[in-house]
Amino acid sequence: MPGRTHSIVIDKEKCIACVACSQVCPTRAIRVRDRLAHVKDELCIDCGSCIPACRYEAVRAMTSSPADLQRFKYTVAIPSLTLFGQFGREVEPAQVLHALRRIGFDATYDFSWMCEMVAGATDAYLSECAGPWPKISVTCPAVVRLVQIRYPDLLAHLVPLETPRELAAKVHRRRLAAEKHLPPEEIGIFFVTPCSAIVNSIVSPVGLDASHLDGAFAISELYGPLLKALKEAPVADTVEAVSARGLRWAMAGGEISGMRNANSMTVRGVKDVTYVFDHIEAGRFQSVDFIETYICPDGCVSGQLTVAGRYEAQQAVHHHAHRLGAQSTVKEEKVRTLLREHFFDFEAEIRARPVRPLAQDLRQAVALTKEKDALVARLPRKDCGACGAPTCETFAEDVLRGESKLADCVFVRIEELEQTLSGKGGDA
Amino acid sequence: MSEAVSLAPELLYQKSFVIRGNDYDHGGEAAAQVKAILKQLGIAPELIRRLSIANFEAEMNAIMYAYEARLELSVFSNAVRVVISDHGPGIPDIGWALEEGNSTATPEMRARGFGAGLGLPNIKRNSDEFAIESTVGTGTTLRYAVLLNDGLGS
Repeated sequence: MPGRTHSIVIDKEKCIACVACSQVCPTRAIRVRDRLAHVKDELCIDCGSCIPACRYEAVRAMTSSPADLQRFKYTVAIPSLTLFGQFGREVEPAQVLHALRRIGFDATYDFSWMCEMVAGATDAYLSECAGPWPKISVTCPAVVRLVQIRYPDLLAHLVPLETPRELAAKVHRRRLAAEKHLPPEEIGIFFVTPCSAIVNSIVSPVGLDASHLDGAFAISELYGPLLKALKEAPVADTVEAVSARGLRWAMAGGEISGMRNANSMTVRGVKDVTYVFDHIEAGRFQSVDFIETYICPDGCVSGQLTVAGRYEAQQAVHHHAHRLGAQSTVKEEKVRTLLREHFFDFEAEIRARPVRPLAQDLRQAVALTKEKDALVARLPRKDCGACGAPTCETFAEDVLRGESKLADCVFVRIEELEQTLSGKGGDA
Repeated sequence: MSEAVSLAPELLYQKSFVIRGNDYDHGGEAAAQVKAILKQLGIAPELIRRLSIANFEAEMNAIMYAYEARLELSVFSNAVRVVISDHGPGIPDIGWALEEGNSTATPEMRARGFGAGLGLPNIKRNSDEFAIESTVGTGTTLRYAVLLNDGLGS
């Protein structure tokens, strides 16, 4: 497998092998073995649920570090719109952009207008495409991975339009290279991300051969320096035209709020996303045109790499969007032309990554499934997690795949011990 | 291996699920569990897709109309078969119920997104074999199957 396919890193020094991360993982991708948590590549969707679950700060996302900026002649920060909601209502987007330039980036680029463009393109796409319905947004990379892994039948439902952050990086790199007379590869474009899913969408992109972004800094890592810069130089040196419609993409419901097509809905949180996807697979929700979905409970403002509480952040984003007003910065005809010119298209196909069956041959798979059922029946079914697998069922599968031993279950071990002891007692 | 003689289809795996009437909160769970088992067995995705649609419709029908039902999954060497039998009011006119658009759904069922009269026709359309029997006042039994066509274990 080329490169890694998830962005979660476990710190060997800090991990105490307590299974808290493995218990919260919605796709059951984490196992604790040999006194260390391991993430299974083929199951991880980079939702980042494990990051706040760890009380020992042993789980983190593979974000960029200041040293990465040194590799480039010219560096640009593209902040997630969520960043604008991190400093309360009083700090305006222009001030945040100014602060980003003060902490070490040569330039900043606000991509809220690109969000508005993609919303327009989605409208145009929905009016021209033939189904299957409903169409599903690709904004949240964790949702895309969930579809690849668990809902391959829904791949045809994904809106095949590139995300605003990638389009913005692509367009801006081209423009900067011309303006600054720099080779494109000497320009470093970094996203300031609220979540681990976006980090991974850069490391191992989907729908793209290579990301147009060079890395991502976590909001939580830049927060301290930004706060300091905001105190030192609170007044922005330029006026920035931030799109209110784009800004709302920081919150669940934001994407559809700026769209013409109102036959849509927002689904938040991994539990609800799973529920709705199960139902779409079963043929429900066909009368809905578009579904905006987020793995995080309130959209990007509730990403694990943010600092502000999600309600405080929402309040701030609402405030800024309201102040900016509802005027559109994007021309509809221009968007339709760009859509026809394939500007928004994916550069690569999104492929299914289905979890492998227990065996390729049906008879063999049936035999293993029966073995698994028997194994589960023998296990305590307390889902205590002490064996390192999150549930007795996943443990049984691991045993069948040869990845765990039955004796890793403490209950089985106690049982065996008791039998041995009583056996000995009988002899005496 | 010795010369294989074509025999009657062999039952490889069986599992059943209980569905309770009016239990909307767990609606679709039996269908989801069956889907997970079939994925684990490596059944072709297209067959799983069709059977899952049928299972979901059948499960929701049972939840909406029956007191209790049992969904039995049987994996044969040549087909995946489902029998879903309920204790319930039964269907007085099966021909009528099988026509698209005919429904006896209550306003509550419609509010939940059901009752378009597509349930039974959908099950029939997504299965390769379909049979229904019903006795008014006793209950309904649906049998449907998707056929495995890749000549198993050759």
